[in-house]
Amino acid sequence: MDLDYKFLVQTFYLVLGAIPTTLKLTFVSLLAATPFAFAIAMVRRQSGRRILSQIVKAYVTFMRGTPIVLQILMIYSVLPSVLNAVALAWNLPINVFDWDPVLYAYIVFTLNTIALLSEVFRSALGSVVQGQMEAALCAGLTRVQAYIHIILPQALVSAMPNLCNLTINLLKGTSLAFLMTVKDMTAVAKVAASYGYNYIEAYMDVLVGYVIVCSIVQVLFHFAERHVGRYRLVRQK
Amino acid sequence: MRPFSPDFMFGVVPMLLPFLGVTLAVVVGTVLAGSLFGGLLAWIRMGRNTILRYVAEAYIYMIRCTPSIVMLFVVFYGLPKFCLEVFDTNINDYDKIVFVWITFILLFSAPISEVMRSAYESIDHGQYEAAVSIGLSPWQAFFHIVLPQATVTALPNFGNSVINLMKEGSLAYTIGLVDIIGKGQLIIAHHYGAYALETYLALAAIYLLLTLGVEKSFLYLEHTFSASEKIS
Repeated sequence: MDLDYKFLVQTFYLVLGAIPTTLKLTFVSLLAATPFAFAIAMVRRQSGRRILSQIVKAYVTFMRGTPIVLQILMIYSVLPSVLNAVALAWNLPINVFDWDPVLYAYIVFTLNTIALLSEVFRSALGSVVQGQMEAALCAGLTRVQAYIHIILPQALVSAMPNLCNLTINLLKGTSLAFLMTVKDMTAVAKVAASYGYNYIEAYMDVLVGYVIVCSIVQVLFHFAERHVGRYRLVRQK
Repeated sequence: MRPFSPDFMFGVVPMLLPFLGVTLAVVVGTVLAGSLFGGLLAWIRMGRNTILRYVAEAYIYMIRCTPSIVMLFVVFYGLPKFCLEVFDTNINDYDKIVFVWITFILLFSAPISEVMRSAYESIDHGQYEAAVSIGLSPWQAFFHIVLPQATVTALPNFGNSVINLMKEGSLAYTIGLVDIIGKGQLIIAHHYGAYALETYLALAAIYLLLTLGVEKSFLYLEHTFSASEKIS
């Protein structure tokens, strides 16, 4: 199969250059989602607050039950005009359509990650036995102290593998940001390919790019997992 | 801004539903062929051939790192060229669903092979030994003793994979397949971009029902199978 090797190499550098955008999309969304996801996990774990619990449950179900493409299309088709209408109604001196589309990408991926992350947190918090909390309270810690010093460090250990999976999936999911004209790895290659119809070479570059980035993320998580699990009595293989 | 039109949202559903068949065909075809291929991968990974095992492991690792959309584009643009140059056959005119199937079979087989492998390994080897010792052939032991038990263990993860596949399958519209999302896009284009939110919400509702339906059916299957397990 004859490929345009010059183009292959050139585009590969282009794709490598867009890795920061992909990483930024992934980690900004992840960080922005963390507090909300934690709040949702806490709400769903408490027995009271039935209405609020039902609302967040509906949100999580919706986000997990619909394809992320639809969420992207939905938000990208509606949010700009809604914001514009708001700006016009209040006579705000801003032009929404001048904003960098990456903003909408952050919003979509954060909203999606909140739902997925809250499930990870919920199961992780559930894996810490109730006695831990009781023991911490008996020893004189406040509830907040108990969470920070006792519950969370233990929950994090069991959350790590799921967190790694979530991050990898999010990283792969950001490849859809091109639908919002964000110039991430996929978009850069797509644009480069469209000049000479060299799609195969371009997408092969993207594929290799993602394998590299994902490998780095997995290695980082491997070390993070070892770090948070360092007080475990029995080391897992 | 134009007010939201609930009428259109409900009105668009009957227009979308005829194309549900295409969406489901993508899922069902992929699950069937992908499971076969995934089973083959799992068998290779647990087999004795070291080289094949490394190849399978590398493949599974690579798929885990590949976004569906990139794989879809690689198959859609790359495969026709590959077939033309290597086999001298023109597959450019093939229906787009063929490329979608190939893509998702490649993508689905990797996680499903891991599901199958972990389910197989969760079954105590003594079960197989006991079966062989009472005179079953290795194949009989596998099909009548190990496989039914492994299926029950694999069900929850299998269901998750199917749901993920269903959601990823929605990407097929990007190469021009007219499934429900593709039809939705056509409807939106037909109205010059108006009614986008209404159409997408209708699509979201359909997908939500589908994923919940799959989830519930797998829970039901799991319940039925593990019930028979407990009685015996």
